[in-house]
Amino acid sequence: MVNETTAQETAWAIASALPDPEIPALTIAELGILRSVELMEGVITVSITPTYSGCPATEMIKGDIETALRDAGFSAVAVRLIHSPAWTTDTLSAATLEKLRAEGIAPPHRGQAPHCPLCGSSAVEQIAAFGSTPCKSLWRCITCREPFDHFKCH
Amino acid sequence: MSAICEVPGGNIAVAETPMLRWVLAYADDALILGHRLSEWCSRAPSMEEDMALANLGLDLLGQARFLYSHAATLENAAQPALERSEDDYAYRRDAPQFRNALLVEQPNGDFAATMVRHMLYASFADLYWRASLAVSDPAIAAFAARSEKEIAYHERHAADWVIRLGDGTAESRRRAQSALDGLLAFADELFETEADQLPLMAAGAIIDPARLRDAYRHRIEQICARATLSLAWPRWHQSGGRQGRHGEHLGHLLAELQFLPRAYPGASW
Amino acid sequence: MYAQALDQTDTRPAQGDDPARLAAFQARIDAEQKIEPNHWMPEAYRRTLIRQIAQHAHSEIIGMQPEGNWITRAPSLRRKVALLAKVQDECGHGLYLYAAAETLGVSRAALVDQLLAGTAKYSSIFNYPTLSWADIGAIGWLVDGAAIMNQIPLCRCSYGPYARAMIRVCKEESFHQRQGYEIICSLAGGTPEQRAMAQDALNRWWWPCLMMFGPPDTESQHSDQSTRWKIKRFSNDELRQTFIDATVPQAHRLGLTLPDPDLHLDQATGHWRYGAIDWAEFRAVLRGEGPCNRDRLARRNAAHAEGEWVREAASAYAAKQNQRKAA
Repeated sequence: MVNETTAQETAWAIASALPDPEIPALTIAELGILRSVELMEGVITVSITPTYSGCPATEMIKGDIETALRDAGFSAVAVRLIHSPAWTTDTLSAATLEKLRAEGIAPPHRGQAPHCPLCGSSAVEQIAAFGSTPCKSLWRCITCREPFDHFKCH
Repeated sequence: MSAICEVPGGNIAVAETPMLRWVLAYADDALILGHRLSEWCSRAPSMEEDMALANLGLDLLGQARFLYSHAATLENAAQPALERSEDDYAYRRDAPQFRNALLVEQPNGDFAATMVRHMLYASFADLYWRASLAVSDPAIAAFAARSEKEIAYHERHAADWVIRLGDGTAESRRRAQSALDGLLAFADELFETEADQLPLMAAGAIIDPARLRDAYRHRIEQICARATLSLAWPRWHQSGGRQGRHGEHLGHLLAELQFLPRAYPGASW
Repeated sequence: MYAQALDQTDTRPAQGDDPARLAAFQARIDAEQKIEPNHWMPEAYRRTLIRQIAQHAHSEIIGMQPEGNWITRAPSLRRKVALLAKVQDECGHGLYLYAAAETLGVSRAALVDQLLAGTAKYSSIFNYPTLSWADIGAIGWLVDGAAIMNQIPLCRCSYGPYARAMIRVCKEESFHQRQGYEIICSLAGGTPEQRAMAQDALNRWWWPCLMMFGPPDTESQHSDQSTRWKIKRFSNDELRQTFIDATVPQAHRLGLTLPDPDLHLDQATGHWRYGAIDWAEFRAVLRGEGPCNRDRLARRNAAHAEGEWVREAASAYAAKQNQRKAA
C-alpha cells in the first residue's frame, strides 16, 4: 500500500462496487448499506448498516466485502455492523431510484402510492403488504395489468 | 464469577448482572415470539398472511440477534475467555435460564389467539422501544429506534386483525373474545420492575416499563372498543417468566429450537 | 423456485383464430417482441401459459412446506433467519406468479381451487421429504440450482409478464442457491457426522433433481409448438446436461460423491455422462405416489379450510365498513 489515503480510497472503490445480493442491479453503496471505509491501526475497517433487523443478506454482504478486499491484497480486514443512524430509504439518490424502476421495482416515495414501473400509470392496486422480500410490497397495474414489486419507504 | 464449570456444548452459565438480565429478558421475548410466529409457516389463513407472519417473525428474530450479540459483548468484556456468541444464549440455556415474559411463550392457538397475543406484545414493545430512544448507550438507543419503526407496523397489523375479527362474523368475534379473555392475564408481567435494575433505570441506562402501563392500557382499550370486544382487566396477573419460572409450553419449544446443537455438541453450522 | 418441465403444450385446435391475426402474432414472436396482456393471442397459447405459470406458482407455494419443516429447528440464529426469509420469498414468488397468470384472464382463486382439489400439477421434487438439516442445503444448492437452469431461458419467454417475473425471480433464486451451497460447504467441512449428513442428502436428492428437467427429449410431447411460441428455448435433456456439468465439479470440490456409478467425464465433449434415470419413479410421483404427495396437499387444504373463518371475517368486516361509509 502506497499510503493510508490511497489504501482507504482503493478499499472504498472495491467495497462500494459490490452488488447487493438480493437486488444485484444496485451496489451496496447505492443502497446506503456501506457507511464508511477507514484504515485503523493497519486494519481496513468497513462499516455497514443492516437495512432492517431480520435482513438475511447482511452476513453475505459482510463475507463478500472480506473476500473482495482480501483478493485485492488487503490482509487485515474488519467488517463491523453499525446501527446508528438507522438505515432509511430517504437517502437513496435519484439515480438509484431510477435504477430500481428500470429493474421493474417501483421506487419508494414518501407519502406517495407507487406508479407502475412498466407503463407509468398511477392506477395501481396493492395485492399484498409484503413482497418476496420484506423490504417490498406486491402491487398490480390496472392499466397494463403488470404485477410489480414496490420498494417500501423505511 | 462463573464458578460453575461449563461442559463443552452443554448449558452455559451466564453471570447475570442486572444489565445482562435486562438484555436477555428482551432478547428472549423477541426470540420466543419470533419462533412462535415462524411455526405458522405454510399454515396461515391466506398466502398474504403467510408472508406477513413470516415478516413479523423475521423482525423479531433480527431484534433478538442484536440483543444477544450485545449480551455477548457484555459478558466477553468481563471475561474474554468465555468467547460468547449470540447462539450460545439461544441454544445453550435451558428453560429456567430464559427470561422471557410468559405471554410470548403461549402457544399459537388459532389465528385470533396469535393476533391478540401479538397485539398485547407489540403495543407494549412499541411504547417501550420508543421510550428507549432516550437511554444513555447510543448503541441501544439506535437499536430502539430501528425496533420501534418495525414494531409500530406489528402493532398496526395485529390491531387491524383484532378489529376485523372482533367486528367480523359471530364466529370470529367469539374466537377473538375468547383469546382476549384467556391472554389478558399475561399482559401485566410486561410492566414488572425488577428491583436490582432500579439503579440502571435511575441512571437512564434502561427504561422502567412500569411507567408505560397506563398508556398501554389506554391503547389496548381503544383497540378493543373498535373491535367491539369487551375488556375487563383481571385483578391478578400471571408472573414468573422474568425469573425463569415458565409454563409447560416453553420446554417443548426449546426442545425443538435447540435440537441440532444439543444433538451435535460442538459442531458449527 | 421450481419451474419444472412437465407441462404439455395445449394443442387443441383453436376455433375462430383468424389466420391473418395468427400470422401477425407469430411474426411478432419471431421478431423477438414480447406479447403483452392487452395483445391478441391464440387461445392455445393463452391456455398453455396459464397452465405453465400456474404450475410454477403452485410449486412455489407447495415448496414452502419441505423447507418450512426445518425453520423451527434451524441450528443457528443466522440460519433460522435466512431460512424463514427464503420461505417467505417463495410465497412471494408464488403470489407474484399467480398475479402474472391473472394477466391472462384467469383468477387466482380458480387456480388455487385446482391445486387444492389435486387436479393441478406442481414440481415433483416437493413430494420428497426433508429428513435432516443437510436437506435444506441440498434444496438450495441442487433444487434451486436446477430451477435456475430451467428458468434462465424463461427470462426470454415471449410472454412479457412471465419473462419479466422470471428475470426478477432468477436474481432472488441465485441468492438462495448461494445460501444452500454455503450450508452444504459448512457440513462438508464439518464433523464426520455432518459430512455423512451432507452425503446422505446428496444421495437422496440427486436423482429427483435430475427429474426436475422433465422426461427425456425422446418422450417429451409437443415441445415443437412451445419452441415456435418461444415459451421453451432449450430441450429437457440440454438443460439437464448443463445442470450436471455445472454441479458434478462442485460436489467433487466438496469431497462428496454422486450416487451414480455410471457417471464419467466424456473427454471428447467435456460433458459428464450419467446413468439411466428411473422414469418409472418420476411418473409414480406425478401420479401421487411419492412419499409426501398426500401430506403436502393435506397441509394446503387444512390451511385453507382452517383459514376460512378468518377470510369470512375479513370480508364481513369490509362489507360493514362499506355500509358505514355509505350511510
